[in-house]
Amino acid sequence: MSKQSKALLIDITKCIGCQQCSVACKAGHKQPGDPEPTLSATAFTVIEPRGEKFVRRLCMHCEDPSCASVCPVGAIVKTAQGAVRYDGSKCIGCRYCMIACPFSVPKYEWSKLAPYVTKCDMCAERVLAGKQTLCAEACPTGATTFGDREDLLMEAHKRIVENPGTYVPRIYGEKEVGGTSVFYISDVPFEQLGFIEPPMNQPMPTLSAAALGEVPTVVTIGGSLLAGLYWFTQRRREVALAQVAEQDEKERN
Amino acid sequence: MSQIMRKITLWRAISAVIFAAGLWATYLRFFAGWRAATNLSDGQPWGIWVGVATLCGVGLSAGGFAIAGAVYLLGMERYHAISRASVMIAFLGYLSVAAGYAWELGLPWNFWHPIVMWNRKSVLFEVVWCIMLYTTVLALEFSPALLEKIPHQRIRELALEWHHRILIGLVLIGVLLSSLHQSFLGGLFIIFKGKVYPLWYSNYQTTLFYLSAIPAGFAMVIIALYLCHRSLGVKLDLGILKDFSRVITPLLVIFGLFRFADLARQHAMEYLFLARSETFYFWLEMALFIVAPVVLLNLKKVRETPIGLYWASAITVMGFITHRINVSITALERATGTHYVPKWSELAVTIMLVATAVIAFRWAVLHLKIFPRVEPRTRWLAEPAEAD
Ligand code: SF4
Ligand code: SF4
Ligand code: SF4
Repeated sequence: MSKQSKALLIDITKCIGCQQCSVACKAGHKQPGDPEPTLSATAFTVIEPRGEKFVRRLCMHCEDPSCASVCPVGAIVKTAQGAVRYDGSKCIGCRYCMIACPFSVPKYEWSKLAPYVTKCDMCAERVLAGKQTLCAEACPTGATTFGDREDLLMEAHKRIVENPGTYVPRIYGEKEVGGTSVFYISDVPFEQLGFIEPPMNQPMPTLSAAALGEVPTVVTIGGSLLAGLYWFTQRRREVALAQVAEQDEKERN
Repeated sequence: MSQIMRKITLWRAISAVIFAAGLWATYLRFFAGWRAATNLSDGQPWGIWVGVATLCGVGLSAGGFAIAGAVYLLGMERYHAISRASVMIAFLGYLSVAAGYAWELGLPWNFWHPIVMWNRKSVLFEVVWCIMLYTTVLALEFSPALLEKIPHQRIRELALEWHHRILIGLVLIGVLLSSLHQSFLGGLFIIFKGKVYPLWYSNYQTTLFYLSAIPAGFAMVIIALYLCHRSLGVKLDLGILKDFSRVITPLLVIFGLFRFADLARQHAMEYLFLARSETFYFWLEMALFIVAPVVLLNLKKVRETPIGLYWASAITVMGFITHRINVSITALERATGTHYVPKWSELAVTIMLVATAVIAFRWAVLHLKIFPRVEPRTRWLAEPAEAD
């Protein structure tokens, strides 16, 4: 296996909605039941029909993931091979990651007494073993392909350029929230397919970093200010006491 | 006498109902599961356990650091008599927040993980640490109330002497830690950009949370002091309540101005009058948290009577709770397409936590030396307690 970061490329023009990816994913992750309509604790990937088109949804495996940045115990990490992985043994179950994910991907095992967060792990064990993801392997039309991130990005650009008039000139996932490891190309504008317009093209964790970055300043300035005020009030009190003492002295004399 | 008896039994009955419901809800939460005990869902995974128990619990405890700071750092001796009470309110507030994690967290037995597993990028990590440290500081600030009970005179004096030496440092650290995590609680929401309804998104949410916590904390102290005075027979200089209420008005006005300036800056003014449910909740928040308290506290009748101050403070606290619920729940409903109404059991747990704190508070006021008293039965405590 090359050391490169891996990714998935999803070509919406090629997806026929056969659900093979969902079936393979469920089987591989020992999740019960048929393909589901929406992402859930038992469905890491789903096919959402949008008019004539089929949109496959799964974790975007962001380059700088919000879910990983907000986790207080570091239970979610972006790995070198591209997958954003969740370690349930660290998780405390605060569910911050679920809200922080701009794509609302992580789901919760609400029906369990010891619930864990669930989401696609880009078949991390398989990928580490040099194999491709189950969904890419199962896809009969090549709508989902697996490979090195850089290669897939080039491939996506190539398809757009070589088929003028077919694709909308955008690779969803190239720039969104600072880039992801799941790319979509499509012949229908993404907003018509229900893709969210991400709030920014920089990594979302930069937002919290800005707030946290002010900490040392606040502590230093606030601390010195308070210490200064304390010194001031103490001093004032001493002076006042001294004056009273003086007064007493005078009166006594 | 019979009237008092009736009052006591009424409160007993209410407490019994609260605890029965709370314990039943607890049973559901731990043995029947989340679906039986909550209306939480993937779209609304926090609900009121986070929105009220944590966000409001911490916010309403802000009086502790503000008053300790005023007394010990700014030398406002006048409030010395109630500084221990306000520290205790905060201490109990934080303890109930910490206890609340048992229900809130999905895997509560892992609660200690943030101590050893660090993620400095996470605002929540910083919040958890600040809260842990500050609760320790509060425990230390409050400890003389217990140290005074040490029967052995030498040890007692030594302990109190040591406490006296570190007190200023503790108060200083407490003010800093509080300022940090009160604002960081708002910082939790900054990364939700795109999911938060524009009326509640701000990258200055940190500042907004800080600015709103202090007046709410003062209001909470007024409520507690008034109840001590009325129901527990504590003798108090009620002018203090008036002084605190004088701080609340300007703080609320500052918060309101900052809030609207911020909405203008983020071009969210256009959302102020849309025909949507969010608009209603926004104005409800404004009415309860800013307009009503400011107007009421300007009325002589309200300002000059303890009962008036009590009700004005109660409205302020309700407004504050509305604000926190809006930020943490209302703001997310549209983007996540989830309408959330708490289940009775979620409310029951929250109410039980509050009731426990109230009972603990009552017990402490009656059995520890929370307020300086010169009654014969506390004479044996002598006076070294007063730390300065
Ligand atoms: S899509 Fe969401 S869950 Fe997946 S890596 Fe990005 S932030 Fe995390
Ligand atoms: S729920 Fe678990 S994985 Fe998600 S942020 Fe909290 S501790 Fe981390
Ligand atoms: S990468 Fe693996 S886990 Fe993710 S959707 Fe595909 S099969 Fe499922």
